Amino acid sequence: MKAVRRAAILVVLLSPVAVWAQVPGGVPLPQGWIGTTSEWVRGFGIVFAVLNLALLAFAWRSLRGGGVTPTARGWLLVSVGLVPLMIAFLSFAHGLEESATVSSCGSCHVMKPFVEDLRNVKSDSLAATHFKNGYIRENQCYTCHSDYGLAGTIKAKFAGLGHVWRYTTGSYELPIKIASPYPNVRCLGCHGASQKFLNSDGHPKEEMQNLMNGTVQCIACHGPAHPEQKKAALR
Amino acid sequence: MSPQGVPVRLLRIAIVLAAIFNLLALVVMVRTTPLAFTLFMFVGQPLFVLAFLLLVGAVLADLRARQII
Repeated sequence: MKAVRRAAILVVLLSPVAVWAQVPGGVPLPQGWIGTTSEWVRGFGIVFAVLNLALLAFAWRSLRGGGVTPTARGWLLVSVGLVPLMIAFLSFAHGLEESATVSSCGSCHVMKPFVEDLRNVKSDSLAATHFKNGYIRENQCYTCHSDYGLAGTIKAKFAGLGHVWRYTTGSYELPIKIASPYPNVRCLGCHGASQKFLNSDGHPKEEMQNLMNGTVQCIACHGPAHPEQKKAALR
Repeated sequence: MSPQGVPVRLLRIAIVLAAIFNLLALVVMVRTTPLAFTLFMFVGQPLFVLAFLLLVGAVLADLRARQII
């Protein structure tokens, strides 16, 4: 019981880590006093992870005598078997959500010019126009660079994995280019059904079929999506 | 689990692996970067699975030593 009390005290003392971990970013959204699911997942995750480190220390200590006592069995079952399952779930959920944010994309320095332009209110690039007018509420990079549906998400995650690999190993070429031509379906997912798009003089009815099947690219008229990269500033 | 049936060293290894998994998870939750999340997914989680298997192996070894199974 004494050990459990000690673990509880440790968790309470270390819980401010969760507050310290809050990343500032932009104008706060109206989340109410109770916060968001994501914040709760993160908070619980940190508390569980800190708690489990204490539990693992107790489990290690309980093995000191060279034998496995019933107490040691309890510590082991909880700290190696049960609590890590919860931590795995919480970390996975948090990491998956966080990996779609703009700050996550911008954490690689080769992406910084794109993110800086995105956030630049004076920029007229397509990406900046979407960002400053709030056309996409959150995860702007991910929203425009992933296809729709579950397959799109999986494809984007695997592509992201490839990006991490190439970035970490330095096996990428500058200037950064999009891997394949930007598909119209990503634009039309939002714009396709809007009256502004359907009734625009720039989208005559005879061109509509070509826009829908991708023969004519949206980006050909509405680009550039991002500013051109200056080679000197890249590395 | 009796001292004869369970190699304590295996259990210690399981604790160390679980601790590494824990630290990687903590890094992901405190400051998520693509590299941290990738490490958690491809290193941290397999380490946890390995730790869990070691624990299960220890439990089975104990049950066998007690001639329960």
